[in-house]
Amino acid sequence: MKQVSSMSELFERLNDLKIVFRYGQKMIPIIQSLIDFMKDTVPLLEDINTSISDTTNKIPKAKDQINNVSSQTELATTEILDIVDSISDDVEKFDKYIKEIKNKEEEKKKTWEAIKNLIPHSSESEKYINHFESLDIFYSVLPSMEAIFNKIRDDVYKITLSLQVQDITSQQLAAVNHLIESVRLKLSSLIIHLDETDLTSIENVKLDIPVGSTFDPDAVYTKSTERQEAADLLINSINNKATQDEIDKLFS
Amino acid sequence: MNLKFLVVDDSVTMRRIVVNSLKNLSYDNFVEAGDGKEALDKLTADSAINFVITDWNMPNVSGLELVKSIRCDDKLSKLWVLMVTTRGVKEDIIEALNARVNNYIVKPFTPQILKEKIDTIINA
Repeated sequence: MKQVSSMSELFERLNDLKIVFRYGQKMIPIIQSLIDFMKDTVPLLEDINTSISDTTNKIPKAKDQINNVSSQTELATTEILDIVDSISDDVEKFDKYIKEIKNKEEEKKKTWEAIKNLIPHSSESEKYINHFESLDIFYSVLPSMEAIFNKIRDDVYKITLSLQVQDITSQQLAAVNHLIESVRLKLSSLIIHLDETDLTSIENVKLDIPVGSTFDPDAVYTKSTERQEAADLLINSINNKATQDEIDKLFS
Repeated sequence: MNLKFLVVDDSVTMRRIVVNSLKNLSYDNFVEAGDGKEALDKLTADSAINFVITDWNMPNVSGLELVKSIRCDDKLSKLWVLMVTTRGVKEDIIEALNARVNNYIVKPFTPQILKEKIDTIINA
């Protein structure tokens, strides 16, 4: 009985094997097409690998170029600040000269009044005195001169303040450099593990700012006072001068 | 009031801008440092400094670490500290205030804000 059972079991297994063989026969074209696909894909993968290699190799150069832009901009800004300082010094010198002239003019005016009293009155002398006094334009132009100097002083200071943009953009460029380096590291790992890495993982590269970094990735050059107002409100909140709602509204 | 400022920033440009602004406000006594470490050295060496204007993001010792070191040091803890930084998010400002900065300016600053903050600090 046991032998009969073994035989029927054998036939069952043979039948299974037959099914497998039949299935295998059906699978052969599929496997063949898979092999063909792999043949086509391998050069493509090699191309991708080469392309990633090339891109990765170019990244250090891109980083250097960004660093160069930062240092050249800083150099140019320093030169502008030197010129601005020089203009400011000149304006201050002019201002000092004008004050000296003003003092002398006061003295001159008093002396002239004394001289005028010594001159005998006549229509002729009156004519010359009037003409002489009309030539003295110092006091008529003084307000305009002072206004111009003040405007130059203000404009020069505005240029100085605008140069804050250099510090802010250099921080933004440092953040870009950091991001580029993160991409380079990701690409390098792709080259090594191309066959086992999901290409979409490149999208997951994030700008993780290391602790103690010397840049702020969110640095913004803006004339808006909104950020300072928000900061002030927060500071005031410590002294209970602002409500949490007001603060949240400004920071949202 | 005699104020001697220590201007701390790793950007030479920013240091010059802050110093020029202080000159514009008729202050003429200041020293400079390029990072928090240099700032601490200068503070230790010069007891006449009574007002620190510092950036946050700097190499070696950051502005925040500088503030914490100042507040932990018996000889320096009473110094006035104004932070001038690009960092304008709420969490950063709270962190700086927790470290006990006297006031906070978000870059780019205006001369009015700088004057207002200095006056607020020294008159508090």
